[in-house]
Amino acid sequence: MIEIKNLHKSYHMGSNSLHVLKGINLSIKEGELVAIMGSSGSGKSTFLNILGMLDNLDEGEYILDEVPIKNLNETKAANYRNKFLGFIFQSFNLINYKTAWENVALPLYYQGVPRKERKERAIKHLESVGLGPWIEHLPSELSGGQKQRVAIARALAAEPKVMLADEPTGALDSTTSREVMDLVQKINDQGKTILVVTHEDDIAHMCKRIVHLKDGVIVEDSYVNQVRASEYVQ
Amino acid sequence: MFSRDLWSEIFHSIKSNKLRTFLTGFSVAWGIFILVLLLASVDGMKNGFTKQFGDDASNSIFISAWETTKAYGGFEKGRRIQLDNSDLDFIKKSFDGYYEYISPRYGKSVPISYKNETGTYSVRSISPDHWFIERTQIDKGRYINQNDIKNTLKVVVMGKVAAEELFKDEDPIGKDIILNGLSFKVIGIFSDDGNEREERNMYAPISTFQRLYGNTDHIDQITLTYNPDFNFAEAINFSNSLEKALKRRLVIAPDDQGAIYINNYAEGFSDLNNFTLVLSMISIGVGMLILIAGIVGIGNILVFIIKERTKEIGVRKALGAKPFDVIKLVLLESVFITSISGFIGMIFATSIVALISPILDTPAFANPSVDGVTVITSTIVLIVAGVLAGLIPAIKAARVKPIVALRAD
Repeated sequence: MIEIKNLHKSYHMGSNSLHVLKGINLSIKEGELVAIMGSSGSGKSTFLNILGMLDNLDEGEYILDEVPIKNLNETKAANYRNKFLGFIFQSFNLINYKTAWENVALPLYYQGVPRKERKERAIKHLESVGLGPWIEHLPSELSGGQKQRVAIARALAAEPKVMLADEPTGALDSTTSREVMDLVQKINDQGKTILVVTHEDDIAHMCKRIVHLKDGVIVEDSYVNQVRASEYVQ
Repeated sequence: MFSRDLWSEIFHSIKSNKLRTFLTGFSVAWGIFILVLLLASVDGMKNGFTKQFGDDASNSIFISAWETTKAYGGFEKGRRIQLDNSDLDFIKKSFDGYYEYISPRYGKSVPISYKNETGTYSVRSISPDHWFIERTQIDKGRYINQNDIKNTLKVVVMGKVAAEELFKDEDPIGKDIILNGLSFKVIGIFSDDGNEREERNMYAPISTFQRLYGNTDHIDQITLTYNPDFNFAEAINFSNSLEKALKRRLVIAPDDQGAIYINNYAEGFSDLNNFTLVLSMISIGVGMLILIAGIVGIGNILVFIIKERTKEIGVRKALGAKPFDVIKLVLLESVFITSISGFIGMIFATSIVALISPILDTPAFANPSVDGVTVITSTIVLIVAGVLAGLIPAIKAARVKPIVALRAD
């Protein structure tokens, strides 16, 4: 699903140049649940930005579902993001004046799906994350866990190839974190490829594979025994 | 482009920034308000000026003669020029088709009495064409006609005020008055819009007066109206050639400014038109300048809103919003605010004009109004203004990097 070959990325600030990613090779197959770990400064955010087509790579190859991702202009990148990727953010990033279903329907809006169909599909996804009774609620009327579930429903709405989660539990307490990870695991169980950026060990171990980044290179890449979040729930 | 969702986004944004939207909207409404009021005022002034002229036909030309101010053709300067019937005939013959109506004027100030009432009135002796040149309104009876001229009848048409003074409550028509010792019959009463002094005058047949005052053929003034199909330039050309011909005929130096005076209303009107045009330009200029302040205000607020919504725009882009989607959103909001507030300003201004217009009735200011052209122009200006105001913020918004959405705050 994802092929990364010899990925390099540097940032230039004036005369200083910061080499952030120093040749990353990574291959992720369909249906994997991968945790990307690393301390701050390890380059994991930059890596995620490039995976999310939010930033361009300097050198190397990035192939997503057999489509080479390179030389994207803004409009094309927006199209690819919309089609291929679903984002889950640490701070949820719901639009606060839109109801739950409108938030979920937003990616579909940018696909040009008619309003009626958008609403139907959004409700379906909200129900699948257990928020059926909350479709008409504003984000301010929801708890943190509920907000993140709306965000997950939104990431699912466009039926992307890959879901990218950036510290999805970073703003949640441990109980809610497990609920959210339980949901992530269930979505993965249905075959969705998911990448989770985290610095928490227990969250990482709820994934099937852990990739450690340090100083811009992968120092460890191993498959682990997945801890089911549902074991903790209740 | 105008989907329901786009509108709901715009309304959300306006709703969540009510005060700010109101304040900027106000500045645009104010700009349009002043622009429309200024244009209406210019219109009112123009109407006022036109009304001042309106008493006489607007295509009138008055010719009068004085003394020469230059020696010419063997004559010393200071020679008195006297117009007479032959000059009138000369113009009639030489400029056939150039004029519409033509009449001599020969006036005297004479004592007039009826029963016990006596007064001194100025009597203008004229020919029937004068009616059309002066646009005299006949309230009762009739004006001087060709028959009066031919038979040198002793008849007068009396101004309303003069009639009231002499006849009190009596009906003057058909009554005889004593004019300079001779009996004249009153055949008509006239009134004059907005000029009471004019209503103390009287009109008599030119032939009668010329015979009465020493069997003369003298004329004080020749009044005529130029062909109404002429434009200003043609009218001015006509009066110039008239002046040249008369100077040649009366042996006056071509550059003598004092001997003959030709007052062509076309000149006044053309000056007036230029004047009001300049005034309109100035008011449009001032209005636009005020509007620019409004535009800058809207632009300023949009920049602010976008700064505030940077994260949201980033999220939208991460979810697949194309740069054009973002530009569309910002521009439409801007055009929407400017248009709505502009319309409000326009409605206020037009209603104020409509309210004030009937109350205001000074000579120099009459019937100010806002015409369709002003409304349409202002509307276009508003939409363009909205686009301009939104352009920079929109481009700024389109450049927001979706990375900002990933950054936890």
